[in-house]
Amino acid sequence: MMIRLENVSKWYLNDGKQSEPVLYELNLTIPDRQFVCILGPSGCGKTTLLNLVAGFITPSRGHVFFDDAPIEGPGPERGVVFQDANLFPWLTVRKNVEFALRLRGVDHNAMRDTAGKYLDLVGMASHKNAFPHTLSGGMRQRTAISRALALEPKALLMDEPFSSLDANAREHLQDELLKIWQHQQRTLIYITHSVEEAAYLADRVIVMGPSPQNIRGDMLLQSVRPRKRSSEEMRNATAELRAALDSLPCCV
Amino acid sequence: MIRSVIRSFIPIFIFLVVWQMVAFMVSAFRGVPFPTPWATIMKLTALLGGETLSDHTLYRHLADSIVRWLAGFIMAAIAGVVYGLFAGWWRPLESATYQIVHILQLIPGLAWIPVAILVFGIGETATVFMITMTAFPPVAINVLNGVKRLDTTFVRAAQMMGAGQITMLFKVLLPGAMPSIISGLRIGLGNGWRVLVAAEMIVGAGTGLGYSIIQARWTLDYASAFACLCVICVIGLLIEHLVFNPLEKRTVERWSLQREE
Repeated sequence: MMIRLENVSKWYLNDGKQSEPVLYELNLTIPDRQFVCILGPSGCGKTTLLNLVAGFITPSRGHVFFDDAPIEGPGPERGVVFQDANLFPWLTVRKNVEFALRLRGVDHNAMRDTAGKYLDLVGMASHKNAFPHTLSGGMRQRTAISRALALEPKALLMDEPFSSLDANAREHLQDELLKIWQHQQRTLIYITHSVEEAAYLADRVIVMGPSPQNIRGDMLLQSVRPRKRSSEEMRNATAELRAALDSLPCCV
Repeated sequence: MIRSVIRSFIPIFIFLVVWQMVAFMVSAFRGVPFPTPWATIMKLTALLGGETLSDHTLYRHLADSIVRWLAGFIMAAIAGVVYGLFAGWWRPLESATYQIVHILQLIPGLAWIPVAILVFGIGETATVFMITMTAFPPVAINVLNGVKRLDTTFVRAAQMMGAGQITMLFKVLLPGAMPSIISGLRIGLGNGWRVLVAAEMIVGAGTGLGYSIIQARWTLDYASAFACLCVICVIGLLIEHLVFNPLEKRTVERWSLQREE
């Protein structure tokens, strides 16, 4: 069992006072190589959950385990793709991807090769010398994915990575992400508020709602890939997820 | 092109006209000779041609001033950037020292004179000390704020990739805070230059532009004093155009980081 959250509660401090818990007594286990979508309205703790697994924050109560070891902080075995690509603006595309490799002390040529390989994988090889601000949102997000992949992480954590892209670019990148994931399967947690996205991508969809009961649904999607966006199966899955979401109060 | 050249000369032109009018009025109403732009330029030409001023050439004064200034400024810049990075990154250091830096910033440069003379005696070191003390706080405060205001997601991304403390400080926080670093250095350099000229007038190093200005006053050679002022202005403009503008182009603009106002 790869990622395990045990009785995790999380609240934040505002002016020294505890807020209402964002997550309350949450239990969740994600096995190896599963593609999990976390679906829910905004404000119900999806990002908090991801940040806990990434190690950016620590639980107020409870424990988070990765490969049976407690998570003590962020690390390259858990690659994160942030909502706003979040590349370093002072580095070129290639240098952004090489950043982590350099830290690992990979020698110069191997570093070039690895960065080149992962940039190629996301179709960014021809832009490797561009600075991030000259790229479109989709290109930045591709680079961010290749940066996370270059870590060769055991798990990939993605926080609404395509939500700021236009519909066309989003579908395109979803397909590429699936291709990459099928090519080298690793555990993938993917946060989204889009029912269609969850139904199209995931092996398993976790529907989240506001605490105290954060997990409102846990669905396995059995349909084989490649899935067709307009198929009957897709429509049924979407309808089912939407029904689960509609029963939730709006968190905003 | 021609239009923009003309436009950039307009402020200089206005300045010269006002100067000429002031010179005319002071001469007319107070009966004392006030150097006109023309007289100043003639004097400046003579000084640039090698005429001595307080026993030395203008070049010697200029060179001595610049050496003192750079010595003080470089120390302040290094100390300020290093302090700002560490204090911005490590909260306990910030809370333990921030007040001190703030108080330092409130002390006018010339107020360091007694301290400088007591510690270093009259001379070079005292001047350099004063420059360092007045250039340090703006650099330190700007760098610190720049680091603190840096988007936390950059820090998280670096941690996720396994960055250690040193990498974080110099590969993430330093470039990320570059807009604030540049504006801090700008203010620091200006502060240093101002206190340098004043310090030379009082701590009395025997050479330097500030020293020359105050000497020219005793000898009623006001045109020379004005010529030195012109040199000071030109140096300021050169620094802006040769140092800060290119630095900004190579970093902040190239990366499209916002320059703070």
